[in-house]
Amino acid sequence: MNSYLGIIPISARVHRRQNRMTILCIIFSVFMVTFIFSMAEMGARMEDAHLSAKHGSLDYLALLSSATGQTLLLSAAMLCLFILAAGVLMIAGSLGASVAQRREFFGLMRCIGMSKRQVSHLVTLEALHWCKWAVPTGVVLGTVACWGFCAVLHYLVQEEFAAMPVFGISIIGIASGIIVGLATVLIAAHAPARAAAKTSPLAAVSGNDVPLPRAGKKLGRLHGHIETNLGRGHARASKKNLFMMASAFSLTIILVLIFAVIIDWVNVVMPQSAIASADLTISSEDATNTVPASLKNSLSSLAGIESVAGRRSAPNQTAEMVTTGASMTVDLISFEETDFAALEKDHLLGRDSDLSKLSGDSHYVLATPSKTSPLAIGDHITVDGKDLEVAGILKSDPFASEDGATDNLTLITSDETFVSLTGERDYALVCLQTSKDISEATIGAIESHVGEQFIFEDRRGQSTAGTYIMFRFFVYSFLAVIALVAVFNIINSISMSVSARMREYGMMRAVGMDMHGFFRMILAEAWTYAAWGGAIGILLGLVIHKGLYALLITSHFAYASYVFPLAYLLVIVLYLAAAVLIAAWLPVKRLRSVSAMETIRWE
Amino acid sequence: MNILEVTHLSKTYGAGDAAVAALKDASFSVAKGEFVAIVGASGSGKSTLLHLIGGLETPTAGRVQIEGQDIFAMKERRLTIFRRRHIGFVFQSFNLVPELTAEQNILFPVLLDHQKPDRAYLAELLEFLGLSERRNHLPSQLSGGQQQRVAIARALFSRPTLILADEPTGNLDSANSAEVLTLLKQTARIYEQTVLMITHNQSIAQSADHLLQVSDGVVSDFGRVGR
Repeated sequence: MNSYLGIIPISARVHRRQNRMTILCIIFSVFMVTFIFSMAEMGARMEDAHLSAKHGSLDYLALLSSATGQTLLLSAAMLCLFILAAGVLMIAGSLGASVAQRREFFGLMRCIGMSKRQVSHLVTLEALHWCKWAVPTGVVLGTVACWGFCAVLHYLVQEEFAAMPVFGISIIGIASGIIVGLATVLIAAHAPARAAAKTSPLAAVSGNDVPLPRAGKKLGRLHGHIETNLGRGHARASKKNLFMMASAFSLTIILVLIFAVIIDWVNVVMPQSAIASADLTISSEDATNTVPASLKNSLSSLAGIESVAGRRSAPNQTAEMVTTGASMTVDLISFEETDFAALEKDHLLGRDSDLSKLSGDSHYVLATPSKTSPLAIGDHITVDGKDLEVAGILKSDPFASEDGATDNLTLITSDETFVSLTGERDYALVCLQTSKDISEATIGAIESHVGEQFIFEDRRGQSTAGTYIMFRFFVYSFLAVIALVAVFNIINSISMSVSARMREYGMMRAVGMDMHGFFRMILAEAWTYAAWGGAIGILLGLVIHKGLYALLITSHFAYASYVFPLAYLLVIVLYLAAAVLIAAWLPVKRLRSVSAMETIRWE
Repeated sequence: MNILEVTHLSKTYGAGDAAVAALKDASFSVAKGEFVAIVGASGSGKSTLLHLIGGLETPTAGRVQIEGQDIFAMKERRLTIFRRRHIGFVFQSFNLVPELTAEQNILFPVLLDHQKPDRAYLAELLEFLGLSERRNHLPSQLSGGQQQRVAIARALFSRPTLILADEPTGNLDSANSAEVLTLLKQTARIYEQTVLMITHNQSIAQSADHLLQVSDGVVSDFGRVGR
């Protein structure tokens, strides 16, 4: 050993088990950053391929400075910052506990002449020592995960991801992972290094006994079981720890609610509506009912055509509310059974709507929601002298324009009712669903049969279903990872708290606390962290959720209205409960395997 | 009537060449109300003996019966509850809960049982041990002697069958040591407790009712030596 720092690899071998959590946290942080930046670069390369196909090759730097490139890089950078913060929290907690358990060692070092600065360097370099293999491991895992994800997008999802490179190596991703990994460790080691440097040489004599808390930290009056009081007291004993733990939880919850808005935004921007999912459409140029019914009937018998549905429309009809006499302008649209089934599949029917009333030539209609002329189920409207009754209200308007300013109320009738009302039998729009193996010859034959008088559209390549599913999968995966980070954090923190109090726990076992009592105590500590984090996270998260919803959705899509994220809140509460239970159960399992006397003698 | 029966009790740590026999085939009995002193050199096995009697460790062989019950035949949960109700511990390093007041520390075992504490008995104990003025203080606000008195009160409060004291004066100065030992003996006599105490103090050993000597893991029972 040529220098006092030669003790680092020796100590690393001896304390490998105790530092397992620190190593895992470093690997995790590096993995996440490498993966995210690699995916961002693969996304940029995919975009490069798309644009090259359209416009010829582009300069790569020009691509990265394009709007898409900037968006990708900005998103990756923001995620990276979050991971840095989460990684620092986790690693700092883990290193801090490790330092606390070695007070006697640091006291001895100070006793024999190591300066505070040297002790601080020792702790920092110890932490960096773990990076020697944790960072490469994280980089390799991140790159392999990126390959896997790209392969799924390229081969399974296809659509616009068909150009996604599969085994690309991202230098940006690797470099970012290494830099962020090292930066995280350096930032996280700062506080524990300072704490170790402050260790008094007397600790060499007094050992690892944690100093008794200062006066004024009483539990106070006991409410309920003594174990739960002690658990809550342990959580409140360190304000800094309570703040860090609550922050980890509340950050997770806020991110969940932010991503909930993003998912709703994608639902609006990329609607996966069965209503709008026709593969081929034939429409009249001026939206009048001129597409012959005979054409629709002949198309349905062609090979490769799975179903044909037609819609008729009669816009700008004058209508009158029977009860109030108020007049309004409505659009009439006819639906066939296929479209009614699609309404149910898309969950567009409002409460108490009864589709069965619309079959055949009935006087029932469905109405779209309207802010200016709201209707209710059971209302009677007169259209062209005929009385119609509202049998259902849709939750949103599938025909609305983006601004919604000029949209009339739409009444949906059955085929037979529309014919009875207007006498028109031809269609404004015919929608065809094709099979996957339909021949191009058949498509060509249909198109030439339709001719120039109608508009023929082939929408088979415009499906966004795969993209939509992958987007949701990516978002939910990311949220799951964030949630896991918070769970790891609390498990780590509780584990360190238990280790620091092992002797105290040994005494409690000696005087008769059983494992149920320990579980109650540790559960109370974990629940205190979760309750604080949950309360702050939910309150702040809901405010941000509402603001973001208005910014991204309701201000751009007039027909959309705010949806309270009840399902997400329920998931959040369940998640908090699960995290707390796991965090409490693991240390009790550890205590159970150790005898009371070993606990008292714990080092 | 014998409150404690130890039969062929042994404890070996490690295995093979690294095996250390901390206690070898100890057998003795203790009558109700006796004050038993356990003496021996450092590393002789005194603490191991006490910890085995208290059920804090499991023996390699042998049996410990307290009030006729074999404690090592009990499952972990039942043993813990038995220890809570029938055995009181006094440690060398006090081992109080730092965030509980003196009064809360004393009540701790009874609160673990979710029982309502006997406040009159608590007041009596606090008065006797000179802790009435300090009942709402944290351990960090008490002297070493006061902390040890709180530990004694905690051991006594549940009226246990046995009190096990592992060098209770080891961390105290001579004045406090004398005071704590006197209190321990007096409370044991007044409340008719059976006490097993590890001590290096010769005068205490000589004034005990019953003397056990431990040397290299072997327990020699010198029997009832009288007061």
